[in-house]
Amino acid sequence: MDTPFFELRNITKYFSKVVANKEVSFSIQKGEVLALLGENGAGKSTIMKILYGLYKADSGEIIMEGVERKINSPNDAMALGISMIQQHFSLVSAHTVTENIILGNVHGRIDSKGFEREIGELAKTYGFEVDPHALVKDLSVGVQQKVEILKALYLKARLLIMDEPTAVLTPQESENLMQFVREFTANGNSVIFITHKLREVMKVADRIIVMRNGEVHGDLKCSDTEEKELSRLMMGKDLIHPNRVEDEMSADSHEIRLQFDRVSVVEHDQVPRLKDVSFSIHRGEIFGIAGVSGNGQQELCEVTCGALRSTSGRVLLDGEDITGLTIHERIDKGIGYVPADRHKDGLVMEMSLAENMMLKASYGKKWLHHGLLDKDALNSYTNTLIKEYQIKAPGPEAIAKGLSGGNQQKVIVAREVDNGSKLIIFDQPTRGLDLGAIDHVHKTIFAERAKGKSILLISTELSEIFTLSDRIAVLYKGVIQGIFKGSELTTEKIGLLMAGYDDDKGCIDER
Amino acid sequence: MIDLLTRALMMSTPLLFGSISEVFAERSGMMVIAIEGIFLLGAWGGFVGTYLSGSLLIGVLAAIMAGVVTAAIYGWITVYLKQNQVVTGTAINILAMGVVSFLHRVIFGVPITPLTVQPLQALPIPIISKIPIIGPVIFNQNILTYMMYLIVPISYFILFKTSIGLTIRSAGENPEAVDVAGINVNRIRYSMVLIAGVMGGIAGAFYSIGYLGMFTTNIIGGRGWIAFAICFLGNWNPKGAFIGALVFGLAEAIAIYMQSSGGVLFPNELFIALPYILTIVLTITRKSFNVPAKLGVPYIKES
Amino acid sequence: MTRGVLMNAKFRDLLVTNFLAIVLGLGASALMLLLLDKNPIEAFGILFSSVIRDKYTFADIFVKATPLIFSALAFAFTFKANLYNIGVQGQFYIGALIAAASSLILQGRMPGVLALVIVFVLTILGGGIWGSLIGFVKAKYKANEFLVSMMSTFVALGIMNYLLRTVLMETKHEYPQTNALDTTVWLPTFIQGTRLHIGFILAVVVAISVWILLYKTPLGYRIRVVGYNSDAARMSGINSKRLYVVAFFISGALAAMAGFTEVNGVQHMLLQGFNPDIGAAGLGIAILANANPIGIIFAAILFGALNVGGTIMGQMSGIPSSIIELMQGFVMVFVILSYFVRSELETRRAKRRLFKAVEE
Repeated sequence: MDTPFFELRNITKYFSKVVANKEVSFSIQKGEVLALLGENGAGKSTIMKILYGLYKADSGEIIMEGVERKINSPNDAMALGISMIQQHFSLVSAHTVTENIILGNVHGRIDSKGFEREIGELAKTYGFEVDPHALVKDLSVGVQQKVEILKALYLKARLLIMDEPTAVLTPQESENLMQFVREFTANGNSVIFITHKLREVMKVADRIIVMRNGEVHGDLKCSDTEEKELSRLMMGKDLIHPNRVEDEMSADSHEIRLQFDRVSVVEHDQVPRLKDVSFSIHRGEIFGIAGVSGNGQQELCEVTCGALRSTSGRVLLDGEDITGLTIHERIDKGIGYVPADRHKDGLVMEMSLAENMMLKASYGKKWLHHGLLDKDALNSYTNTLIKEYQIKAPGPEAIAKGLSGGNQQKVIVAREVDNGSKLIIFDQPTRGLDLGAIDHVHKTIFAERAKGKSILLISTELSEIFTLSDRIAVLYKGVIQGIFKGSELTTEKIGLLMAGYDDDKGCIDER
Repeated sequence: MIDLLTRALMMSTPLLFGSISEVFAERSGMMVIAIEGIFLLGAWGGFVGTYLSGSLLIGVLAAIMAGVVTAAIYGWITVYLKQNQVVTGTAINILAMGVVSFLHRVIFGVPITPLTVQPLQALPIPIISKIPIIGPVIFNQNILTYMMYLIVPISYFILFKTSIGLTIRSAGENPEAVDVAGINVNRIRYSMVLIAGVMGGIAGAFYSIGYLGMFTTNIIGGRGWIAFAICFLGNWNPKGAFIGALVFGLAEAIAIYMQSSGGVLFPNELFIALPYILTIVLTITRKSFNVPAKLGVPYIKES
Repeated sequence: MTRGVLMNAKFRDLLVTNFLAIVLGLGASALMLLLLDKNPIEAFGILFSSVIRDKYTFADIFVKATPLIFSALAFAFTFKANLYNIGVQGQFYIGALIAAASSLILQGRMPGVLALVIVFVLTILGGGIWGSLIGFVKAKYKANEFLVSMMSTFVALGIMNYLLRTVLMETKHEYPQTNALDTTVWLPTFIQGTRLHIGFILAVVVAISVWILLYKTPLGYRIRVVGYNSDAARMSGINSKRLYVVAFFISGALAAMAGFTEVNGVQHMLLQGFNPDIGAAGLGIAILANANPIGIIFAAILFGALNVGGTIMGQMSGIPSSIIELMQGFVMVFVILSYFVRSELETRRAKRRLFKAVEE
């Protein structure tokens, strides 16, 4: 029992831009739940990918039950009983659950019926409700995660690594997952889960490894520590959380700026993606939408910015019906949009910062000089924003791809704040950012609110929703479950609403 | 009429070989843009092999070798060096033209009369080939066409009912999933490109030693591209590719018939253009496609 | 400061690797010559000396380069929008058809200059419309433009061959070709003793204009955004569909200009089977120049030189004309390899910088 199940010794890994891991050492026992804690960019994913054979360490050893092992590929890792479930699932959405699970684990002719039966039974054993015949793309994210877990169980995994598993789950689903983890480890198996959520860690982990800037800064038993200490180890200093700036006048007394009037998005005979959504956002108000990803948040953002046409209902801006306006027209009306997927929707990675700043203004006369693009004006404008937002970049001509995630987000925020003179949509604005950048984004949101702009905030981080929002709406399966003042909600209550449970008390009806 | 149908089936053979190999390659994520060059190398290799050895079998083997070498170079640059497939394929196609013309000159000089070989003969299958109509059409073909009949169901079976088929299809949809399952994505893709070299080589050889009995540098005339288009139109399915190949084979047979019979039913040039117009129309009207999600995207991972 | 040095290192890489690629490409072709028992050094010596030996031959390089500049620009333009126009050859044929037909109709009825201008306008309109059809079906039906454009070349070829055999056929009715164009509608040459016509100047001017369009105008900006990231383009309110049509129109017009310069500047008539490789060569040149309009001018001149030199090599030492395709093909392959080499160098350089930073 003394020899650890797995041990990592002095692992170091360089990437072309950063030192991802520096002399990282820790171990895990059989039957233990280990939490790998740290903020975004701390190096947690990297070290686990090394353990799983996806990356090769530049130096260091991996030891299993006292014997050094070489893990050069996922094959080697799987042979040792290690399975990894990544944040972005490695599933083929066009194939069935069964096809996904047997990929790489079967030879020769495929007996589909036989495998489907086998997997159906495996799912039942663990209490998972998964249809082996279903296509992955038709499954909800929570069920997709179960498919990933089934895949590991099918391979008889003994060490399960999970990367941010609860990011896509409701509080109740997270609880189910934790239950599974407890049962799994009770049988002598081990689990490592990577997370940045302190609360979860305290609930289920036996031991906690805290990482920061690629190094291990803490190796503690859960019972020996508490949240404040973990937070300090994660951050390197005591962090003062930005407090809510309470407005003297309540937001209700301002005029209504954005209004959704029974907006629905229904496609053919499918489940409605948005159903009779109605709410209003006042001037100078931050309106937060809480909910697990995939419950209509994306559609809500897209209907607001014009990327998606609603099937029925109206959208009004300052009393004007903008339901039929194109994206371009809405940009001209002063709607800014900081999208969730910044690489896909927010920036052109191969272009310079200056060219990215111009992204929403290419049709207007703003940057023209005698009919040609005025590079000097654009560059000086970009320079001003670089200084204002403290964007770490060599200059306006730097290519966007070369910036860190946090700085890329600052570029988008700077641009959208400038464009969005009336309303700014922030969709998962701090996902994947380090604390300094998160703080900056929050401060920017408060500053824009003070200018009288309306803010629509979508986030899966409940703490962020609570910190920033004046009012909070909960979205579940495309339906608003209720709109509340922040003070009226507890984590438990919001968790229930996010999972679709009706709650009679305390609903503000939106008129 | 029977002649026409017989010829149609015959002309669809190389298109089928080419398009099915393209289906496998594209299912794994690779577009074999060099297909026209592979066809050309196959036609030339087949001719040279047959002419110099007197044996059609050696010719076919030479065609396969020539096709595989071409595919190997294309595959190395696109799968392992991760370069753009259209750009690389075009370069290979141009180079192929040059290499084939040049080497033909090296080996044969400038012949006074065109060189010929005895092409593949039809092998009628006893008894069955006597059945009225379908007998001679289907069962009085050369050996490559008989292989075609087998390749279609075998390809379908491999692609959809075996584990290697699942792996290939997954590599084109989500190579990360395949990687995480411990399978080497590059190896899968490279193998598919090599197979395109084998089958494309045979397809090209069909034109020189299977049909015309001679070789000119224009012998392929864009038919590699037709095979490429058929993969698309057949919705990346061997069954669809078979139908597509039959349609184009028929169109080609009709065109040959018109030219030889001297009948000007229709302006000849425009009639020859019909299969291409048909392709355009089909490309436009097809509603749902099974395009592999990551087709044409090189698989790059940080390590 | 560091940025200036960085820019230089990258540019230096570009020049050096491209130069090496050309040298290696020519070298590989030279080696192939050994198979013919020809002395490659002698042959290439003839290539280099012939290219500069007399005014006519030297000027011919630019004559050959002219249509290549246009066809490369045509491919490169849509390539910037992440679209593949494989129909350049067909758009060239359409352009040539319109140029020949309208020249024959207008000649003698008006001053040559006016006729040429009208012919030019008609040509680019026709080529543009023919090309824009591809953009249209992509925009409206989401059709795969690669396939549609490729097939359109065969259709254009059929149309051209048909018309040459019927309506446009010469009065002698002997061969499928048009009558010779009247000298009034010939593009004038501007260097005595050569056949270098002003079409070359037009090509250079157009290339520079395309560069300005792509990098200095909002339209060019939008085209590049769509090419890099169509999702971000959409979210920014850019109408991709309209851009597809515009991009293909311009591309088709550029390809058609090659038809104009070949018919009115070189051939002075239209016949079947002329310049059958303009499309593919244009693609190759666009690749060599990495789709940069200014680089295309130089790459086209290079290909033009290979063409002229290869022909001379053929005349003087009995080397087959396929040496031209050999050289072009090898150079292209080595340039593609150089892309890979450059990106590897860049990655290594970045890693080295990181190690240095860590050690400090």
